[in-house]
Amino acid sequence: MEIQQETCINESLYDVLVIGAGIAGEESALKLADMGYRVLLVEKEPSIGGKMILLSKVFPTLDCAACITTPKVSETARHPNITILTLTEVEEIVRDTKNRFSVTLKKKPRYVVEKDCTGCQECEKACPAIVNDQFQFNLTARKAVYIPFTIANPRVALIDIDNCLLCGACEKACPSNCIDFTQKEEQLKITAKSVIVSTGFKLFDPIQIERYGFGRYKNVITSMQMERQLAPTRPFNNILRPSDGKVPDKIAYVFCAGSRDHTVGNPICSQVCCMYSTKQAQLLMGALPMADVSLYYINIRAFGKGFDEFYEQAKDMGAKYVKGKIASITEKENGNLILRYEDIATGKVTEKEHDLVVLSVGILANPGITRVFKKERLETDALNYIRQTDLLQSPAITSIEGVFAAGTATAPMDIPDTIMSAGAAATETSSYLARLS
Amino acid sequence: MKKKIGVYVCHCGGNISDHVDIEKVKAAVRDEADVYLVKNTLFACADSSQKEIGSDIENEHLDAIVVASCSPKLHLNTFRGVAQRAGLNPYNYVQVNIREQSSWAHSDNKTGATEKAILLVKAGIAKAKESEALQSLKIPAANVVAVIGAGVGGMKTAIGLADMGTEVYLIEKDFFVGGRTPQWGTVSPNGDEGAILTEKLYKEVVRRPNITLFTGAELVEKSGSIGNFDLKIALRPRFVSGNPSTEAMQRAAEACPVAVKDDFNFGLTNRRAFMLPAQGQFPQVPAIDQSACTRCGECTAACHEVDLTQEVQTITLHVGAFVVNTGFDPYQPAQGEYGYGELDNVITLPQFRRLMEMNESELVFNGKKIKKIAYIYCVGSRQDDDEGNTYCSRYCCTATSLTAVLAKKKFGNIINFHFNRGIRTYGKHELVYEAASKQGDIFLQFSLKSIPQIEKRGNKTYVKVKDILTAGKELETEADLIVLVTGMVPRKNELLAQQLKIPTGRDHFFNEIHMKLRPVETVIDGVLIAGTCQSPKNILETVNSSMAAAAKINSVLTKGELSLEPTLAKVNPAACDWCDNCSKACPFDAILQTEINGKKVARVNESNCKGCGMCTPVCPTDAIDLAGYTNAQVESMIDALAEA
Repeated sequence: MEIQQETCINESLYDVLVIGAGIAGEESALKLADMGYRVLLVEKEPSIGGKMILLSKVFPTLDCAACITTPKVSETARHPNITILTLTEVEEIVRDTKNRFSVTLKKKPRYVVEKDCTGCQECEKACPAIVNDQFQFNLTARKAVYIPFTIANPRVALIDIDNCLLCGACEKACPSNCIDFTQKEEQLKITAKSVIVSTGFKLFDPIQIERYGFGRYKNVITSMQMERQLAPTRPFNNILRPSDGKVPDKIAYVFCAGSRDHTVGNPICSQVCCMYSTKQAQLLMGALPMADVSLYYINIRAFGKGFDEFYEQAKDMGAKYVKGKIASITEKENGNLILRYEDIATGKVTEKEHDLVVLSVGILANPGITRVFKKERLETDALNYIRQTDLLQSPAITSIEGVFAAGTATAPMDIPDTIMSAGAAATETSSYLARLS
Repeated sequence: MKKKIGVYVCHCGGNISDHVDIEKVKAAVRDEADVYLVKNTLFACADSSQKEIGSDIENEHLDAIVVASCSPKLHLNTFRGVAQRAGLNPYNYVQVNIREQSSWAHSDNKTGATEKAILLVKAGIAKAKESEALQSLKIPAANVVAVIGAGVGGMKTAIGLADMGTEVYLIEKDFFVGGRTPQWGTVSPNGDEGAILTEKLYKEVVRRPNITLFTGAELVEKSGSIGNFDLKIALRPRFVSGNPSTEAMQRAAEACPVAVKDDFNFGLTNRRAFMLPAQGQFPQVPAIDQSACTRCGECTAACHEVDLTQEVQTITLHVGAFVVNTGFDPYQPAQGEYGYGELDNVITLPQFRRLMEMNESELVFNGKKIKKIAYIYCVGSRQDDDEGNTYCSRYCCTATSLTAVLAKKKFGNIINFHFNRGIRTYGKHELVYEAASKQGDIFLQFSLKSIPQIEKRGNKTYVKVKDILTAGKELETEADLIVLVTGMVPRKNELLAQQLKIPTGRDHFFNEIHMKLRPVETVIDGVLIAGTCQSPKNILETVNSSMAAAAKINSVLTKGELSLEPTLAKVNPAACDWCDNCSKACPFDAILQTEINGKKVARVNESNCKGCGMCTPVCPTDAIDLAGYTNAQVESMIDALAEA
């Protein structure tokens, strides 16, 4: 009988457990692995790469996100010192008597034998069950058996068992016999000398802001949905508005949707929305040269290296920046939308019609991971981000000794800042491991 | 000659395929001699594509591969890795750049972009045919790093490296560590003090045996390359030896007759040529400012530790790499900019912070009690193109909001007016802006086209603005003190810039290789950058980047050896007549004269050679060639390009 990978992992000792395999987790894992440490990288999604791998181009350099992130993904995946577990969640972390962390993991079944799947997608063609594609942010559909997205890693299929009809069509279609409905959820126990929490952020769900009509008005979409329409692996190969598939020509961005807003419990600025919206505006003006792009803002936070120049460039290209917070949105019969706001330039309440509205949604803390720490408490700050107990001197240190934090688990930040923070977490972890031994 | 070449043409999502007809490129090169297979790929760099290329090499026994994709700057090493893992020598791989050089450069002309891409790929195939397997050289590397600049960032880099087992030389130009941080007073809404943070870090630095701190020290000479740099460091004399008592220091300072502007207080006060360390400056040992000292000897009598006979010492160090952490200077307003230097109540934000530290319970400047403060934002930042600094200095909106809160808290009866260009308190800093708003601060917004006007009428000063937030109304307020919120500029250090040759951007800050992939590395191997010498940052961001630099360079040096690129110049001694042309052309002193059987010929010192190719065209007898870019390869590429 072949020894399964999982059996090898069970009961193993790692120098570092990295939770979350977005850009922060990958960067921390790579740096530590390059130093010679053994790293276990755990990801709850079926692919590593986090949110960055789903983006189009990134500000302010307009590098294609896939071109930057796939090499890191690939380097992470084949590093001899890194073991990756996808579809795996951490259930419990508790310090043992030897000052190590005893970790319980829950590995969900993929129902596909990972090492045998060639990614041929024959199963997808055969599957009759159609559901919303979460990696396209529900813009398009996928099958119940599916490869998460084109540049996923591992690029192997999985079965979404909640939506599967158990018809067996995929099993018949698979040329390498790797569909396996007998797989069960597994519990794995490992030991780690240290932990890095790089669990990233949650996107704000604008359904909470009723007056913007998201979920009711079809042509009100989120910035992440626009991001997918602009990505190299875009679903439509064009920009389309949802109600009628028309190419929009009067697009509005509503800034600070879910940020700087006490009414939704998020008083802080999300740090990235001004710039990603400015980037999307530039890409849209390239894709739809005749379209009018208006951006309704409170303040423009173009603070990083090259950001302000990037903002000026968008204005020069013809993006219309309007200072004014959108009060409400109403829908017309033709699907167009009326935006009502106080135009700060004139001081008057004004209404403008647009045919597509993009909500620049903010980012929120993702503190679920704190629950898995037993006996010791992983503290959070007032905004639910992991608390940095020595903010200015050692930003990666948390309330638990040997547990470090990287990236947006601690605060909103952009990709360069995330990578720096992940590097800092690697230094902090490596220093801690050196002290242990 | 290679006979079985695999060619891969990348779509790069749509980055290439939107403007280059990939099928045409494939069709045009399919029948080239020695091309065994041609494939297209959505993302050649994706793991699945890498695996496919690898298995083609193994299964089809390819002897060379060409990937037509993006710039080699991005992915040369990615695909060399693919070749190597599949058992093909990495130098039998050729990268052709049809993204930057075809699709992006000619996005207006799909036919032309496609034609150019075809020719570039053909030239790449020609080069691959002539490619030879090369072996990289392994050299020992010193796990020792020179950290330049001992501000908060430099000290964090040093501590991080030391804790990971790297030996550190921490080299500070001033006589005191801490950089700008101890000058700032309270540095966060939690009440963290710059002086205390500096003290903590200084104590961490000195208790680590593998950090050697040099103050008054400057890099004057550098040679060698990553893994093995040789440095000369000049140590300026402190003119004080040992640890004088506080009383002796005070006596000596009082005895010193020379007064100069005190840089620590940004010129608000004077200090003596005999410099006492300020609060938060370390070591707490005085130093004599050589440029101001008249050598009168008054201090010698007051303090026995003074030794005016000390001279500049030069020491040599051997290190594997540098981390440059030289920080920033506050922007210096021009004479007359918002009345600076002309009106007696106009100062900069850094000066105001010193003033706040120097005043106890009442805020007084030039003998006048201060109640109304006008802050003018973006001084030296977000300027017009032709005028100067176009960038946003990042820290200032938050720093000013916090300053306003602290001023009101400390001195009570203060009214703050913020003349800003849109408040940029990003992320959690928003809460600081909120605190300033809640305490009743008044925010007025202007644009670059209509900046605030300062007017003196009688003995009163007024600031007038066309306020964006009230639909362009002209508003005016009286102000007791005008604070110019000055941005950051990179700290002046010409000698260092000359020695290290780090490229700078249009903003004059040092440039990283790639903001996201390699944010702390520069194009000079083994020279890293961190903190505000790269771009404006706050303390937290400086610390993160400094520790990231530590992680990066430690992971490179910790193995104790490095691989050198084998693309090196090679001399054919039979053809060489030693004319000296090559050695004169070489910018790296890599060509030496040697004798073989009594004949004088050139020899290449491989550890110095960078493979730049300056030597090959000047050789009159074609006796020198560059591995990986041989004459045969380059000529065959030109032939391929010319055939069209």
